[in-house]
Formats: sequence, structure tokens, C-alpha cells
Amino acid sequence: MSLTPEIIALLTLDTIFLFFGVIAFFLSFRLALYWNNDASTPLQYSLTKQSYLVATIIKYIFMLKLPLFLFFIYTCDKLSNIIAGAMCASGVVNSVDFGLYLTLFKLFNLYLFGFWLLLHYADMRCEKLPYTRLKFILFVAFSFPLFVEIGLEIAFFVSLNISKIVSCCGTLFSAASSSYISLLFVVDELLWVGLFYGFFAMSLLAFWLKHNVLILFSNAMFLIFAIIALIVFFSPYVYELPTHRCPFCLLQKDYYYVGYLLYTLLFLGTFYGMGGAMLSLISKEKMRFSKLSVGFNTLYVVIISLYPIVYFIRNGVWL
Amino acid sequence: MFFKPNFLLLDYAIRSLMRRFGKSFFIFFILSLLIFVLASVLMIADAIKLELNTTLKTLPQITLQRFIAGKQSDVPLERVEALLDIEGISAVTPRVWGYYYFKPAGVNFSIVGIDAYEEQYSATLSTLTQRFDIKLLEKENGMIIGEGVQKILSENYYTEFFNFITSEGKWQRVHIAGVFHSDLALESNDLIILPKKLAYAIFGMDKSKATDIIVKVANVKEIPTIVQKINERYPDMRAITQDDIRVSYQNIFDYKSGFFLALFSICAFAFFIIIYDKTSGLSSEEKKEIGILKAIGWSSDDILKEKFYESFTLSLSAFFVGITCSLFYVYALQASFLRNLFMGYSALKPSFALPFSVDVSMLILLFLLSVPIYIAATLIPAWRASTLDADEVMR
Amino acid sequence: MIVLHEVCKQFMQGDEEAHALKKVSLEIKKGECVVLKGSSGSGKSTLLSLIAGLMQPSSGTISVEGKEISKLPESFSAQLRREKIGFIFQKFHLIPYLSALENVIAPLIPENLPVRILEEKAKIAMEQCGIAHKAKMRVNRLSGGEQQRVAIARALVNNPSIILADEPTANLDETLSRELIASLEALKHSGVTLLIATHDPLFFELPFVDRIIEIKNGEMIL
Ligand SMILES: Nc1ncnc2c1ncn2[C@@H]1O[C@H](COP(=O)(O)OP(=O)(O)OP(=O)(O)O)[C@@H](O)[C@H]1O
Ligand SMILES: [Mg+2]
Repeated sequence: MSLTPEIIALLTLDTIFLFFGVIAFFLSFRLALYWNNDASTPLQYSLTKQSYLVATIIKYIFMLKLPLFLFFIYTCDKLSNIIAGAMCASGVVNSVDFGLYLTLFKLFNLYLFGFWLLLHYADMRCEKLPYTRLKFILFVAFSFPLFVEIGLEIAFFVSLNISKIVSCCGTLFSAASSSYISLLFVVDELLWVGLFYGFFAMSLLAFWLKHNVLILFSNAMFLIFAIIALIVFFSPYVYELPTHRCPFCLLQKDYYYVGYLLYTLLFLGTFYGMGGAMLSLISKEKMRFSKLSVGFNTLYVVIISLYPIVYFIRNGVWL
Repeated sequence: MFFKPNFLLLDYAIRSLMRRFGKSFFIFFILSLLIFVLASVLMIADAIKLELNTTLKTLPQITLQRFIAGKQSDVPLERVEALLDIEGISAVTPRVWGYYYFKPAGVNFSIVGIDAYEEQYSATLSTLTQRFDIKLLEKENGMIIGEGVQKILSENYYTEFFNFITSEGKWQRVHIAGVFHSDLALESNDLIILPKKLAYAIFGMDKSKATDIIVKVANVKEIPTIVQKINERYPDMRAITQDDIRVSYQNIFDYKSGFFLALFSICAFAFFIIIYDKTSGLSSEEKKEIGILKAIGWSSDDILKEKFYESFTLSLSAFFVGITCSLFYVYALQASFLRNLFMGYSALKPSFALPFSVDVSMLILLFLLSVPIYIAATLIPAWRASTLDADEVMR
Repeated sequence: MIVLHEVCKQFMQGDEEAHALKKVSLEIKKGECVVLKGSSGSGKSTLLSLIAGLMQPSSGTISVEGKEISKLPESFSAQLRREKIGFIFQKFHLIPYLSALENVIAPLIPENLPVRILEEKAKIAMEQCGIAHKAKMRVNRLSGGEQQRVAIARALVNNPSIILADEPTANLDETLSRELIASLEALKHSGVTLLIATHDPLFFELPFVDRIIEIKNGEMIL
């Protein structure tokens, strides 16, 4: 365990999240059990007030988690200077067995909390508060991944060993890797690229058809294959090195921090796609978020496609 | 979902902070103080780290020390030639150096013996040898001293020369041939440079030996293999590489700032309990105000927003004030006092300027350690205030 | 449009339940002007607070502008209060450390409109009440009558369709009272629903008052 100031900051904020998370969990539990929109009992009255507290807590956690996700990646990036063998955040993340799961959990929770907030706003816009009960039942469920994430993060920093030699992204994201990541390289990379563009096209189609289930499905698949395609196909063009495949180095200064832009677009696009579709499934409201989703997704596809195209125009060959 | 700032509400929040000036100022002051201390410590640590790293780059790639029975002892000079046979080593320099304890002032001087015909192993030394005539030093028994040394010697009335007491108890008179200004100050302030011949005499060392040996390699990547080869040939030699020193410094610093931060967290925690206490106790006036606002059409959410604006402006301005003060303190005032925490107190050493090293990431870190935590402490009190019943407080 | 159906309100006074309102049913049409009279402690203020959604009835239903205000989520009832109801409180309830203008603007702050528009609105309301010349004064430096007029201006600032006035003339002298009544009449003619709780006899023989309701010990006397 090493207590750099960054780690201490993350751990302190984790403690706060845990504290508030536990409060929100118990209140949500009560709310999910006893909420009754038609009652005007004192119990209902106090539940109403508590529901504001839970919403405030969740907003607080979410608003901080967004920048903290970036800060976490940044911290790992910075630690890679100290840890032998690590060249970027991926080496640090993977230096602990569950590091990748932690990152994925963080991402997953952002989607969950974001969706919860979407539902919350839909709920508050309506006089009948139709989703309040659902909202709190959902939060009871969502708080588990939150606690798992906090636990994993604490464990991650505790077991992070600075003197241990870790492997760099060059070996992690290659066919030689011992982990399941190597499986990605078994198949021809063009298959992944095809799936990536295919699901993008499907999401456009779904938007045109206004078919919510399809929007949900295509966006989820688009997210997964966008990341895979980024690792196996697009990233070498960003680095202009045929063997350098890494989803983390994009975030470094050498590549003008382009990763932050790309990931923001991708995550926003798929979040609005999935969240909006989910919301319209539940509430039968008209789709307001799909347009945003299509906009962000398209921008992502355009930018990431430009890398190989520009490379080809300049050098006349594919990598 | 889409946040649109309400400037009128912000104005309202700021003025309600101003109205409770005593209370707000107390919190503002302590918060700024905490941020100031935290920022200063992190900045000093970073600046010293930076200074050390530049100094470390000038350090020898490999230093070889000989250990006999666990104690460091002098190295026979024959080994210098033998070491040159090892492939990859490009230069080997024996060093004669040590500390001289000057009793009247109670300080240690670092004495380094140099030879005009040898390649100098550090940048500092080679600039010095360019500026001063070393051969002349040898002829007239002279030495070059750092500014700190000069100051102490002149306090003891040695302005022209100095009498070293050798290990045999004899006096060795040495001229002060020159004084160098310490731009690369961390190491050189307490330095005395004199010919090797004199150094041997002062230390009473065997002339066929050296204090330690500096090895230069052609390719930095080969350092580990070369160290291994040296260890095989001379098991009594210990090799210290540049990297070893860097890592150990880094660890010391991280440890020190981590330790400090842990202490700091405890203070901060105590402080936030005070904040919680202060913000949760609403005066009857404030309660009445909230009641009125609700009666004329504010919702709980609006009250909560107002409270959020209050704590956000308060903590953000404390953040800026704290950062500004610590920038001033660390770089304009050179962090007098606090830097000793990291350097260890020494009469001669603390005279180098802290190099400027503030990056955005440190500001983000400081922000995360202050503003969100403060807002967290006011979250529940703000919620309590926002859910007050209008009719009950308006009676 | 205000409809009350068998509204009861009890308060806990110590261990005893005090009945401030007992089964009050009432219907006030849009644009109607109703005066509520009754001795002190009869429950007038309680009735107005219930209509404004500042407290919940113990039983019965209250609907304002077609919405059941006691069942509305808090943010919606606040919005209703802000947009549709102007409340003139018996004790003014001004925020003492703000200026008259700021007090009048206060209800509009959550709407997040440009300051210019809000000040415009406030000016109009204050001129209507003849208090515009004291706009920059802190309200706790104003006289009782002036404060009352600021409170009225605040109630009018958002052009409400319902005005609930609790003893609006309690602190005004005869001339000011007549001015106030004149402006209330103007409001009535512009289609605003008025409900005035008072025991000022000036109100009892006004031509524009449609109905006078008396309330006694929490019960309506027809
Ligand atoms: N919050 C409360 N707690 C306890 N009792 C209350 C409360 N509010 C009102 N009451 C009681 O309800 C009764 C009616 O009060 P209300 O203020 O409505 O009278 P009112 O008709 O407005 O009298 P006035 O003309 O003096 O203003 C009174 O007996 C009062 O004591
Ligand atoms: Mg009254």
C-alpha cells in the first residue's frame, strides 16, 4: 500500500460515498416498502422528505463520480511512473487481479446512476410521482454495485504494490497476453470492425424506426464492440505503431489527450441511447434523448474512422 | 438534468452568507487555512522532488563502495584498472572525499579532493574546474569553498586561509583561493574543493586507496548487468545506482507527504464535525426566512439549491484564497519553516530556491480534497433546513 | 376556482386536539370576491393557509384551479403558489434584511429569469401599491403601513389569478385602506379571484364584494 496524495483523496471520497450510500440505502429500503402515493399519513409525509434526501445524495455522488472516474484513470496513469514496467494506466490497473473489473464497475455504475437520475427527473416532472416507488426499489438494487465498487477500490489501493514489476500495455493487449484479452486477437480484426459499424448502423435504423428495444440493444452492443474495435483495430492508427494496442495510452499527453474526448463522446452517446430508450419503455414518453445519442455516437464514429483514413492517405498503406 | 446557473439565486446566497458574517467567516478562515497548509505541503514536496531529480541526474551512474565487516572502508586503487576491463564500463574515477567537522561552529564541511588530470564526474565539478585553475591550487596549497563555508569561516576570522587539523593532530594550512556561488545549491553550499594530495593529508588516508569509485557506463540499460558483474568479481563492493537513489528519495517523500496527509485528514475530520454542527444549528431568524420563502413559492429544491450555492461559493473562495496564499508562501517566501519538515534541519543546506512546479493535476487534487468534502459536510444540514414546514416557522 | 369539501383541521395543543376548522365546505368561482369575517381565533388564517397549501388538512379535500393542492408533490404546490396565488399575510412576513424591491422579487428568484425582467415586474407591482419610491429601503426601516404595501406588492408581482388576503388593512389608516380597496376593486375587475379575511367593517358594504361568509369557532355560518 502506498499513500500518495491522489490515493488518499480517492479513499477519502470513497469513505464519504460509503457513508452517504449506506444512508441512502436504508432510506430507499424504507421508501420502497412503505411509499404510498395516495396516503396523507404522517409516515408518508416524512417519507416524502426522506426521498428528497436520497435524491440529493445520489445527485451528489453522481456529480462527483463523473470527474472522479477521470481522476482515477489519471491517478493510475501517474502511478505508472513509479511502478516498474507500467507505461500507462493499463499496467497499473492490471497490476491487481481485479483492477479491470474495478474500472468496468466504475463505468457500469456511472451508467446506472445516470439512468437513475433520468428516471428521477421524469418522475419529478409528473404530478403523480408515478415512478417514485420504482425509483427507490431500483436504488436498493443499484447500491450493491456501488458498494462493490467502493470495496474493490479500497482493496485495489491497499494491494497495489509499487515495487512489483507489472506488464505494460504492449503485452497486455496483444495476442501473446495470457488473459482472455488475447481471445480478441484470435479472430480477424476486420470482423470486430464490421460488427462495430454494423451495430452503429443498427442504432441509426432503430432511431429511424423509433423502436426502443432495438435502440437499447444496438447501443449496448455498439458500446462493447466500439471498445473492442478500438483496441484491436483503431488504436494502432492513433499511435501510428502497428503493434501498439492499448485503450489507455490514448489518454496521455503524447496523443493530445484525445482519449478523453473519444470516451466522453462514446459514453454520452450510448448512455443517452440506452437511458432514453429505457425511460421511454417505462414511461411511454416521447423520445428526447435519442437525438443526442445519435449525435454523439455519430461524432465518435466519424472521429475514430478518420484516424485510419488519414493514415492511409498520408502513407498509402494500412497498418 | 441540464444545469442552468441561477445568478439571482447565487446573489441571494452570497448575501445571506454575508449577513451571517461571523459564522461564515469563521468557517471560511479555517477552511482556507486547511487548504493553505495542505497546498503548501504538497507544493513543497513536489518542488523538492523536482530539485532532487535535477540533482540526481548529475549524480554518478554507479557508485562503488567497499564494505569490510559491514563498515564502509577505502577502496584500493588497483581495482580501478581492473574495473576498466569489464565490458560496458566507459570510465572509472576514484574519489577522495569526506566530512570535516569544524568544532567552533559545530558544522560539517564536505571535502572533495580533485585531480587536474582526471575527468570530473559531476557537472558541478567540471564547471568549477573550468572556472578555477586547479593546477595552481596544487602548487600553492589552495582550496575553493562554497558560500556557506566562506560565511562560517569568516565568522571565525579565517578570511585568507584555514588551518585544518589532520588526523595526526598537525596543522595543515590551506589558502582560500576562491569562492563559488551556488546556483546548483542543494549539495554545494557546504562544499570545499581542494587537491587530492591535501585531501589525503587532511583525512590521513593511505595514498594507494580511494574513498569510493565512480563508474560511468556507455549504455544506461546495461547498468543492472554491469552491477551484477562487479558484484561477482568483488563481493565486498556495494554498487549504488542512480535509480536506487531516485526510488529511495521518492519513497521518503511519498511517505512523508502521506504521513502528513494522514495527520491532515484527522484535522480536517474534526473541522468538518464543527462545520456540521455550525450549519445544522439554524437560528430562529433563518428558520423564519426559510418559512417565508416557502410560503411565497420556493420549493424545498430551491432552498436546497440556495444552500448548495452558499456552501459552494464559500468553499470555492476559500479554495482560491488558500491556493493563492500558499503559492505566495512557497514561492515568494520560499516556505520558510515548513520546508524543514522535508529537508531535515541543517545550518548550511536550506538555501536553494524551490523550483516552480505547479500543474493542473495538483490543483484538481486540492480541489477534490476541499470543495466536495465541505459540501458533503453541509449536505444533511441543508436538507434539514430545506424540509422545514412553512406554517410552523411562520407563526 | 377554489373548492373545499368537508375540510377539517386539528392542531395539537399540548395533549389536547384543538379543532381550528370543522367540516368546512366552500366553493369560490373564478373572478368572485369573497370576504371572510369572524372573530379572532375563529380559523380564518388557518383556512387561507390550507388553500395556499402551506399546511395539510386533517381530512377533506381542497382543490385550487382544478388541482388538489394537498395531494400535490411539494414542488408542484410551490409552483402553484408562485404562479397562481398571491398571499398577503397577516403579519406581512417580509424578510427584514432585504430591501423592499428585493422582497418583491424574492418569489420570482426560482424561475431563473433575467434580472431585468424581474425588476420590471417588481416595479409595476410596487407602483400599483404606491410604494415604488421606497424600493431601495430595507423593509425593517419602513413603517407598518409601508411594510403592508410591500407585502401586497409581493403578492401581486406574478400577476396571480387568486389573491388570498389576511387582514390586509390591519395596519393602514383610513385613506390608505380606501386606496387598497380601490386597487383590490381594480383586480376584481381584471378577473382575479379574491378571498379576503378581515374584521374591518369597511369591507362589509362594498359594492364589488359578491359574498360575505362568517366563520365562528371553525364552523361556517351560512
Ligand atoms: N400551528 C398551530 N398550532 C396550534 N394551534 C393553532 C395553530 N394555528 C392555529 N391554531 C389555533 O387555531 C385557531 C384558529 O387560528 P387562526 O389563526 O386561524 O385564527 P384567526 O381567525 O386568523 O384569528 P385572528 O383574527 O386573530 O387572526 C386558534 O385557536 C389557534 O390557537
Ligand atoms: Mg388570522
